[in-house]
Amino acid sequence: MLLLIGSNTTDAHPIIANRMKKAAKKGLKIVVIDPRKISMTKSSVKHLPLRVGSDIALMNGIMNVIIENEWHNQPFVEQNSAKFEQLKKHVASYPLDKVEQITGVDKKDIFEAAKLYALADRAMICYTLGITEHHCGVNNVFDIANMALLTGHIGRVGTGIMPLRGQNNVQGAGDMGCLPNQLPGGISLADSKYRNTLEQAWNVSLNPTIGKTQTGMLEKMEDGLMKALYIIGENPIVADVHKNHTTELFKKLDFLVVQDLFMTETAELADVVLPAKGWAEVEGTYTNTDRRVQRVRKAVSAQGIALDDWKILSDLATLMGYPMNYQSSEQIWNEVRQTAPHLYGGMSYERLEKEMSLQYPCPDETHPGTAIIHQELHLKGKKDRLAPFTPVDYTEPVELPDQNYPFTLTTGRRYEPYNTHTQTKYYPDTLKRKQFEETVDIHPDDAERLTIKNGEYVLVSSRRGEVKVKARITEEVQPNLVFMSFHWPEVPTNVLTINEFDPISGTAEYKACAVNVKKISS
Amino acid sequence: MSERTQVETTCAYCGTGCGLIIDVEEDRIVRVRGNKAAPVNQGQTCIKGAFGYHYIHSEDRLRTPLIKKNGKFTEATWQEALNYISTKLTAIKQQFGGDAFSMFACARATNEVNYVTQKFTRAVMNTNNIDGCNRT
Repeated sequence: MLLLIGSNTTDAHPIIANRMKKAAKKGLKIVVIDPRKISMTKSSVKHLPLRVGSDIALMNGIMNVIIENEWHNQPFVEQNSAKFEQLKKHVASYPLDKVEQITGVDKKDIFEAAKLYALADRAMICYTLGITEHHCGVNNVFDIANMALLTGHIGRVGTGIMPLRGQNNVQGAGDMGCLPNQLPGGISLADSKYRNTLEQAWNVSLNPTIGKTQTGMLEKMEDGLMKALYIIGENPIVADVHKNHTTELFKKLDFLVVQDLFMTETAELADVVLPAKGWAEVEGTYTNTDRRVQRVRKAVSAQGIALDDWKILSDLATLMGYPMNYQSSEQIWNEVRQTAPHLYGGMSYERLEKEMSLQYPCPDETHPGTAIIHQELHLKGKKDRLAPFTPVDYTEPVELPDQNYPFTLTTGRRYEPYNTHTQTKYYPDTLKRKQFEETVDIHPDDAERLTIKNGEYVLVSSRRGEVKVKARITEEVQPNLVFMSFHWPEVPTNVLTINEFDPISGTAEYKACAVNVKKISS
Repeated sequence: MSERTQVETTCAYCGTGCGLIIDVEEDRIVRVRGNKAAPVNQGQTCIKGAFGYHYIHSEDRLRTPLIKKNGKFTEATWQEALNYISTKLTAIKQQFGGDAFSMFACARATNEVNYVTQKFTRAVMNTNNIDGCNRT
């Protein structure tokens, strides 16, 4: 059984979607929880079309049904978790009638989904940005963890919680320590023993204060306290919420460096732009969504005098008085293995060459890698370290529709373009595609009421800005909900989105803001 | 006919991690297909994996460092560009401290690049202001 929540897998992770569809044909029961009638609903046994942002109400409702019917995994809960009574009491305040009212999902369907998930021999949850891109993104994830802990659907084949990563190396970038609170190897910055080890290995004293998330950095820019920003291979001007505001903030910086493949909208604002080598021009490794480390190899020469990103940074470090003399990506990887042996100790380039991929943790050369983590949860007996349930409450999206802005806009990805389209816009013209420009996807009832025809250009506006975009009439969206992607810079959807963020993760509420849709008067 | 070589690699778009085979002729990519031996995709690719490589040979690629002077970008050597950055960042670090610096790391780049990126941020700039698009 697969609970797919907040993931339009078919468009965003097509090959994973193919495997899901294939499994569905062989009997995998898929329940889709998504505001839109996404393509995967065709392979599902049930679709719960919840209102945007009502995930916690729905999951609390599901857990309440599970506990009331005693479908939870009592021995697993007793041996592995803490605060079960708190969770039980908390979700009891989410009876089905109330949950139906908040989510708009038929209570019979909620009951059935709860039963399918809880009583399945093996059940897994896959989620994507539909969970995280909310002001309550972290709480959404807590509730997913609550469900897995309640049912024991974790730590065995065919179970678990799987966030599907949007970029090839989201997993790896975090694991390498590109986070304000995390050092290489997934170790907390607060771990002073590990920090000391690094200080000795790197021959520096490290700053122990947790850094800023991107959101926090932007706030410091607003206050004039952030003077310099160095951006590698990102286009935040187009990708971030409330585009006009982000642009103003970047202009406030004393110094902006952008290292990229192209002169992006963000690079245009920079003081210095550095040409980097890209995919197919570099050697190295990526870590996929499955903790699988795989090699990427050089196939062609780079253009001009572009350099490896690591080479640029190493040369700059050396100039600034901290010598870094790396000669190859393999040499860097071997330092990573030494720095985080608990994860990568056994993953030499030689082994990756031979075995193609290895999943961490892989601590030594004879270790086969780890396909499934948290297996120890299924050992008998009460554990020393218990996983606490974290009861969370539903909070409605920050900006709800009203008279002036009667629609909810939710954003996401489409199949063909990738993110801000800086790479996929180079598809050959001869390549058959479904979509060549952005659309605002709108329900037929809404379109009829506003006398909007399919393919007609309309104005979509929010309290922050306005864009002109083609209407696409489709039942994929519910009435009063519209959908847009952020792929085409010609239609900068993120001038509309709201700069409200999850207080813990700093992730913006891309999934919900209030907009108006208007015919362009002729 | 020029010689065609094959290079095994991993796709750089989404987090699925599909194994790909790149066909190269005269230092150019001429074809990309799924690697049947790859554990994740077993030979399949999506449109991005198979056809999303044309940007690599685009004329629009950045070819040299560029420094903005009087609002206009001018071409620079690596030495000029890195000296300039080094001077500016050193001055900002001295005057305002390392926490006046931020790094946006790249979730599309390799593990090796990301390791060096955070090491640069922590060891050279003495700050933990490093984050990426991981959150979105």
